[in-house]
Amino acid sequence: MTRFAWLQARTQSLAVLAALAALAVVAAVTGIHMSHLYAGLVAHCEARGNCGVAITDFLSHQRFLQDALDLLMRLFPALIGAFWGAPLLAREMETGTYRLAWTQSVSRRRWIVARLGLLGLMTIVLTGALTLTVTWWYRAVDATQASRYAFFDRRDLVPIGYAFFAFAVGALAGAVIRRTVPAMVATLAVFAAARVAIATWVRPHLLSPLHLATSLLNSNQFGFESSNGSAPALVVRGDAPNGAWTIASRLVDGSGHTASLAERVAFVKQNCPNVVPPPQVGGSGPHKVRIPDDVAAAMDSCREHAAQTYHLVVSYQPTSRYWTFSGWSSASSPRWRSCAWPAATSGSPGASAEPGATHRPRGQVPLVSLTA
Amino acid sequence: MTAAIEAVAAGKRYGRRWALRDCTLSVPAGRVVGLVGPNGAGKTTLMHLAVGLLRPSEGSIHVLGDVPDGDPAWLAKIGFLAQESPAYARLTVGQHLQMGEWLNPGWDSDFAGARVAALGLDGDQRAGTLSGGQRAQLALTLAVAKRPELLLLDEPVASLDPLARREFLQTLMEVVAATGLTVLLSSHLIADLERVCDHLVLLVAGRVALTGDVDDLLSSHHLLTGPRRDISSLPADQHAIEASHTERQTSVLVRTNQPILDPSWTVTPVTLDDLVLAYMRQARDGHPQAPTMAVAR
Amino acid sequence: MIEFHLDPSSGVATYLQLVQQVQQALQLGLLEPGDRLPTAQQVVASLAINPNTVLKAYRDLERAGLVRARPGLGTFVVGQLPRTDPAAQAKFRRSMGVWLRSARDAGLTAEEIEAIYRTSFRDCFAEGVA
Repeated sequence: MTRFAWLQARTQSLAVLAALAALAVVAAVTGIHMSHLYAGLVAHCEARGNCGVAITDFLSHQRFLQDALDLLMRLFPALIGAFWGAPLLAREMETGTYRLAWTQSVSRRRWIVARLGLLGLMTIVLTGALTLTVTWWYRAVDATQASRYAFFDRRDLVPIGYAFFAFAVGALAGAVIRRTVPAMVATLAVFAAARVAIATWVRPHLLSPLHLATSLLNSNQFGFESSNGSAPALVVRGDAPNGAWTIASRLVDGSGHTASLAERVAFVKQNCPNVVPPPQVGGSGPHKVRIPDDVAAAMDSCREHAAQTYHLVVSYQPTSRYWTFSGWSSASSPRWRSCAWPAATSGSPGASAEPGATHRPRGQVPLVSLTA
Repeated sequence: MTAAIEAVAAGKRYGRRWALRDCTLSVPAGRVVGLVGPNGAGKTTLMHLAVGLLRPSEGSIHVLGDVPDGDPAWLAKIGFLAQESPAYARLTVGQHLQMGEWLNPGWDSDFAGARVAALGLDGDQRAGTLSGGQRAQLALTLAVAKRPELLLLDEPVASLDPLARREFLQTLMEVVAATGLTVLLSSHLIADLERVCDHLVLLVAGRVALTGDVDDLLSSHHLLTGPRRDISSLPADQHAIEASHTERQTSVLVRTNQPILDPSWTVTPVTLDDLVLAYMRQARDGHPQAPTMAVAR
Repeated sequence: MIEFHLDPSSGVATYLQLVQQVQQALQLGLLEPGDRLPTAQQVVASLAINPNTVLKAYRDLERAGLVRARPGLGTFVVGQLPRTDPAAQAKFRRSMGVWLRSARDAGLTAEEIEAIYRTSFRDCFAEGVA
């Protein structure tokens, strides 16, 4: 039965293998090129003091491949699930060949195990080869990113888990729906929904995050927020150490109580009377605004005052847990992904908890964010 | 003689519709049995129950002594040719034979190879490009080369042209003559069945309307024609199956094992065709519980 | 070797047709003692009929003493049918001709004559109908 299962799976496996081989050739050539660029531009940038510029320059190379491979890693599991998993049983039903297959001298169970098992194995092997290639190719680019969690679900083990999950969903859809094309559509839909659901609701609760208490002065996201013309509230956000995955941060007073919105508004009213909103800027998107000196001084004194009243507690998943999360992701289904969190506030690029934030040197004047 | 297929009040339901109901029959071993009935009568359902592709909703069915449950040793004893002769379109003829060899312990590869050569099939040709007749012959080879004890064929010649049909039946009969295996062959064309079958099962609307040896059926049914009269005047041992009257004449199909002594009747033998049609009409129109003839063996 | 033909519309049972064809072949001298009849497998491969039908015909012929089955070797012709006396044949052909001419002169059409012939023939030779 194994031999026959291979006979049936042969063509599709070899086709994907050939495509991967072609990809590997391209990746090898361009990846080595990227390594050279990295060595030249970025490796010693700290000594030269031009890291920001060097990194931007480096990342501007091979943009097409950067985006294409990223997209490929997102799509590949879904496609494998739809094109390999769904037709497995659905096609046998549709063409009627199940009446031939299940009257040979093999039990139904053996037949299913052999076919599912072989294709499932091929899925894992081929996806593994793909992630190996792509992760290798990205190693220079990834080294410039702040947090490993930025591309968590598109490197290493997680795509393999995703692919196998999609394959399993596809096989189940094919068995239930019994028509190839509807089963493929259902597989893609279910897989996409599961991915989003897990990322939104499950992954954050998977391992208890660590908490770091730090002084407000260590934060580089200090500002005020006012929506719809109401009184401004104090807003401070912190980053986790060393590019880990920041989940949340909050203002906490001496007794451990988290400051509520009303309390933060009251604080501003009481202690930072000289803070005024900067001039309105037209257009959408972030703007760098030059803040007048007296306002800046008032903000500094406000900040020192706040630092005496409150401190920051940052919840995060450390870098060291990357492989634990990967392993978790791959060992069980469904899988997670770190999505680009929608910004916690609107219109403020620096204030989101996105774990992909690039280096930003300290001491930069924070932006005041206002929404009309 | 043991029964190859034994069904007791077997039934299969899809939702509220019964595809097969209260089916009790006994298919004797060593025969070529014809399963005949109009479309939708439940022939395919009965076949699928017999090979284990379906489970009965009620009643029981035993094939070669066992319940069809997918046990590999039991599967090796049956061969099945499904409707429209399904085959893997992308695999070649040779690869189908490989499948037979790998998946069946009793596979006779010499026979399979010789058959394919005799049929003139190209081993490297993909099954998707074969004609209907060629695919049917390939499917027959696959079913027979595993050396089963019982062969089930679901409307194998329905979509074949007359020449392909004749060649298929020739092949089938040759195999039966050589190996003596039991065959259950379903069709809604009685002419084909008449040539090859020696036992008949008639299914109408999911129920068994008639079953028996073809010779017995033909010798015990007669068409009587004579002056018009009331059918209830027939003797008790002559069962009227179907009667029609004109102004002056009555024709009645009777089933009896006794001599017909009334001289006013003209007695003619009945063809299998007419016999089956009469029972079909009766089952459909009048009397759902037609008297069946079970063969006592 | 004799080759069988089947007339499905003749109303005569298949096995009977086989028996009759063997008998006719014997009468015409196409089959002689020692000739082997085709195996059941050979017959069904060309006629697509049930092998039991062939076996039944051969059993009938064996009972009539015309053939004998030798296990493993085949079925062989052993007997001879009494050749009908040519004089008797000629006599009946003459009386048949007389009957036909008088029926035609009486105004019967060819179809009527044939119908009368067939019905009488069936009544005379039909088997087993009481």
